[in-house]
Amino acid sequence: MVPLENYLALSAIVFALGVYGVLARRNAVMILMSVELMLNAVNINFVAFAAYLDPGRIVGAIFAVFIITVAAAEVGLALAIVIRLFRNRATANVDEAATMKW
Amino acid sequence: MGAEQAWVLAAIPAGVFLVLALFGRALPRGGDYLGVAAIASSFILFFVVLADFLDTPGKLGPVVNDIQWSKIGDTFDLRMGIYVDPITIVMFAVVVTVALMVNIFSIGYMKGEPRYHWFFAVLQLFAASMLMLVMADNLLLLYISWELVGVCSFLLIGFYWEKRSATEAAKKAFITTRIGDVGLLIGIILLWRAGGTFNIQELIHLAEEGHFSQPYLFTALAFIFIGCMGKSAQVPFHVWLPDAMEGPTPVSALIHAATMVVAGVYLTARLLPMFEVADGMLLTVTIVGLITALLTGFIALAQTDIKKVLAYSTVGQLGFMFIALGAGEPAVAMFHLMTHAFFKALLFLGAGSVIIGTHHNQEMDRLGGLWKKMPITGTTFLIGSLALAGLPPLAGFWSKDEIFVALEHKWGAWAVILLGISAVTTAFYTTRLFIRTFMGKPADTHVYEHTRETPPVMTGALVFLAFLAITSGFVVFHEVGKALGFPGGITEFIFLPHHGPHEYELKWGFAAASLAMAVVGIFSAAWMYWGNDLRRATALANWQPGLYDMLRRKFYFDELYQGMIDRGVLGFSYIVSWFDRYVVNDTGVDGSAQITGFTGGVLKYLQTGRVPNYAMAVALGVIGLALAGLVVRG
Amino acid sequence: MATEVIWWIFALGIIALSAGVVFSRSVIHSAIFLIGSLAGVGVMFVILTVEFLALTQFLIYGGAVTVLVLLALMLTRADPSGRAEKVNGPQAPFALLAGIGVAAVLLVAALSTEWAGNTESPTNIAIEAISQRLFEDFGLPFILASVLLLVALVGAIIVARQEEGE
Repeated sequence: MVPLENYLALSAIVFALGVYGVLARRNAVMILMSVELMLNAVNINFVAFAAYLDPGRIVGAIFAVFIITVAAAEVGLALAIVIRLFRNRATANVDEAATMKW
Repeated sequence: MGAEQAWVLAAIPAGVFLVLALFGRALPRGGDYLGVAAIASSFILFFVVLADFLDTPGKLGPVVNDIQWSKIGDTFDLRMGIYVDPITIVMFAVVVTVALMVNIFSIGYMKGEPRYHWFFAVLQLFAASMLMLVMADNLLLLYISWELVGVCSFLLIGFYWEKRSATEAAKKAFITTRIGDVGLLIGIILLWRAGGTFNIQELIHLAEEGHFSQPYLFTALAFIFIGCMGKSAQVPFHVWLPDAMEGPTPVSALIHAATMVVAGVYLTARLLPMFEVADGMLLTVTIVGLITALLTGFIALAQTDIKKVLAYSTVGQLGFMFIALGAGEPAVAMFHLMTHAFFKALLFLGAGSVIIGTHHNQEMDRLGGLWKKMPITGTTFLIGSLALAGLPPLAGFWSKDEIFVALEHKWGAWAVILLGISAVTTAFYTTRLFIRTFMGKPADTHVYEHTRETPPVMTGALVFLAFLAITSGFVVFHEVGKALGFPGGITEFIFLPHHGPHEYELKWGFAAASLAMAVVGIFSAAWMYWGNDLRRATALANWQPGLYDMLRRKFYFDELYQGMIDRGVLGFSYIVSWFDRYVVNDTGVDGSAQITGFTGGVLKYLQTGRVPNYAMAVALGVIGLALAGLVVRG
Repeated sequence: MATEVIWWIFALGIIALSAGVVFSRSVIHSAIFLIGSLAGVGVMFVILTVEFLALTQFLIYGGAVTVLVLLALMLTRADPSGRAEKVNGPQAPFALLAGIGVAAVLLVAALSTEWAGNTESPTNIAIEAISQRLFEDFGLPFILASVLLLVALVGAIIVARQEEGE
């Protein structure tokens, strides 16, 4: 069978890719996609922990359900904001919305 | 009502103070009748207290009534209460009597003055504070009343605050006494620190048991005595009192006779058992008193303002009281305090009457021959003057005589001789004052022509006080005391526990010497000034102009202090202001502002406004924290 | 043995697709890679025997979220002609370093820890157990989550809708 560490490593790599995406990308939608990657990496971890280490209480699985819920809400709101941004500034690139500075 | 409820005496004027201060403006005649009624009820209630006190079973034991004030933990239990013993009774008598007379007199004197109601309001607070002061059973309550008295004197001396000299005098009085008050506070704290209590009787008990070490007790009492010197205007703190003449004259009478200045005498008398335990403390008190009595006696010789002469005379007489205390005789000090209160109040109110009668003239150089114009004022003033000079059988003679006896008994002949000089000068300047004001030919005919006798509300108070100035000295006799319901004369009423009461007996030698001193002073003054003729006096002044100038300018005390302030305080404040301007302000305040501004100017570029940069910072932060966690965990 | 093979295929697939999401130059490609990656995660849930979550994953991510993302992409196309735009910001090289750092930290932490319990094989999580936990012990958070969704729904509509005069 597959040991727990494999899941953890997979999750770590996917999470790191998500981090890179968030930091490197300009387009807000792409940043959101990277965030989704990070959330899914976390979910893998949660479910793996629940299945391996905590089969009695399965809190991790329950948490995954909530994360999916919150992620859905977040995506919906964030995309609405992106559309708003685009409508106001004709761009979806976050580095072009840079008026909040010195 | 019994002696346990003596606090009511102070509560009534205090309540009326609130009423007058808040609503006095709206009341008809400024509510002066309320003030008089308040102090009159205190006056009447005093006799109730006195009767109860004399009837107390266990004869003349002190009456105590205390309540818990605040309690912190088990160690700090602050109680406040009243303590009524013979000293308190005498102080009560003086305060309520003089305060009542001053209130009545003020109705006439202050007529038509602005802030009339406020004057009466503060008079009530003054009396209330003083009454509270003399019955406080602990030093903390005493200190509070002490400061209240100081505030009232400040308010009253500066009553005519439109006049610059009045505000200056008020400031001077307040600051000078404040210096002493700091000493008092330090002394109280020292006693509390070692004794663990503020209660006066407990502290005395501890001191007598040797609870305090000698140097410690001496230090604490010296600080307390500095407070007494400040309040009672002893050299070198005497400078405020003559300037305090800027206040309305009834206030001068109140400050000089009954309240304020005698607070120091009272406190020293109250703590005298402790002073006796501390080696050298009594000698200190005696020397301070002697110096004061001598210096002010000479200064008063050359003053021309009626009130100034009286002011220096007060300082000198306070010195007499301290001398009595230094001789370990609280009864004599309280006796002189009482007689002095009556005749000095009489003299001040008489001076006030002169000022009103002559339409605000108080310079002797413009007065003279007023006796014919103001017969009642003149006669009562003469009685007060002779009492002050110490002529028998007036009140001043008996108490001064007692001081001489006590002084000789304790310290020997040298002190008596020094004090004798002071007594001669006292008689001299008093006579000079009277002659130049009331006798001979008028110095200024215009003033003389317009002089009128004052209304009965003022002369009535004078007559009453004159009566007391004649008779109050007789309470020293055993038979008089007995007749009044006391156990005997005043020395059998007030005494230190380990000395016990002793009956007064006239010592003929001292009486004769005392009388001789008074007579010498009176006759030499009469010879020099008779008929308000200044030729002899001018010749004397011209013979030694330097000496005369020194006396006229009060031994240069004011100049000395002014110089000290100019050089010391102003020099120091110049340094402080330089430090404040360049170090604190330019370097400290402006510097830190500049550093902040510069740092912000540099660091603001971190705020790029670009979200990816912030996200990067978050990521790096997370990595840093995680690495730190790994390192810590090992 | 078969499970391991399948796991490795899907794990490598997820990594490859995720890398495609973050490295692809086209946003449309990225979105399509994302669908694949999310579906792979769903398969992982199946392998972990949590079928309920796998189904949820497919439905919500595969169905709802990705469609939403694609719609947003279409609505925010700056240049309909599809002219190549710089997709990465100026800090991309540093982002790579940060990503490597995060990966390193996470891997070190995950692999160096001694996990307490059975790390060799997963235990089957029955759907009844999940429902029991969800509706009994986590009943209140569950209801709150539904409220959250509602709020997000309303909020998204208000933020995104065309206002009069715009």
